[in-house]
Amino acid sequence: MSFEKSVFINCPFDNEFKPILQAMLFCIIYLGFEPRIALERADSSEVRIEKIRGLIEAAKYSIHDLSRSRAKKKGEYYRLNIPFELGVDYGCRQYFGHGRQQKKILILQETSYRHQISLSDLSGCDVDTHSGKFEIAIRKVRNWLVNEAGAEAIGASRIEGKYIDFQDWDYLRQIAAGFSDADIQDYPTKELLESMKIWVSTVERPQNKLI
Amino acid sequence: MSSNSQHVVPNGDKWSVRKTGASRASAVFNTRREAIERAREIARNQQAMLFIHGKDGRIKERIVFQNDADPSKG
Repeated sequence: MSFEKSVFINCPFDNEFKPILQAMLFCIIYLGFEPRIALERADSSEVRIEKIRGLIEAAKYSIHDLSRSRAKKKGEYYRLNIPFELGVDYGCRQYFGHGRQQKKILILQETSYRHQISLSDLSGCDVDTHSGKFEIAIRKVRNWLVNEAGAEAIGASRIEGKYIDFQDWDYLRQIAAGFSDADIQDYPTKELLESMKIWVSTVERPQNKLI
Repeated sequence: MSSNSQHVVPNGDKWSVRKTGASRASAVFNTRREAIERAREIARNQQAMLFIHGKDGRIKERIVFQNDADPSKG
């Protein structure tokens, strides 16, 4: 996996966010990039922050989603891992050297200006919103990769259509492999990620294998 | 593996019926229910599979039309 094509994704992994994450993963793979997420390896002996550090250093592009930077109910703690990892990424770009100053960062959140309360250091930075909608997340990630990473300018609507085609293919493949509808609709992200790579390299662009 | 399935999918504030592999929707409706009705009709006529997606874009239901009298839910 090359530095130039890697996209680190730092986002919530809860069930509510899963559809947004999976749509973003599809968009990244469809545009020829390699998503890197903490879920990709499950080695219990690996210290989490070390794994994150490795992913950050290995990726030229990063997407940080701050949608959970607020507790949902009274007494609930909000998650600090995501803003912390954004800080590590920012530090990597500023201090690591070895070409890491070329790193590009996309910051997303669900609604506008929420970060200005909990993370005021980001005042003046561009933070984009997806309103919790998968199709808007696809569009934002697509626009950013086209403008900042030189991705092919395929329309967001086409990518959305291809996401439907991928799901169709994956569902039928899983049924044929003996999975039940309930199993498939559980959508484990790691397995889906591998399926997306297979679909793009064998069905959509068999002549142009992924990295 | 190719498919001639029909999909009911969100389309902004509306709902579309779209065949797998099509470049655009075959019909757009104000409500999900209307889109499902139309997609069922097409899928039944073509003996095709119908996938109904949720607002989050993922497949929530699968209906198989084997013959007119026997649509089975997945």
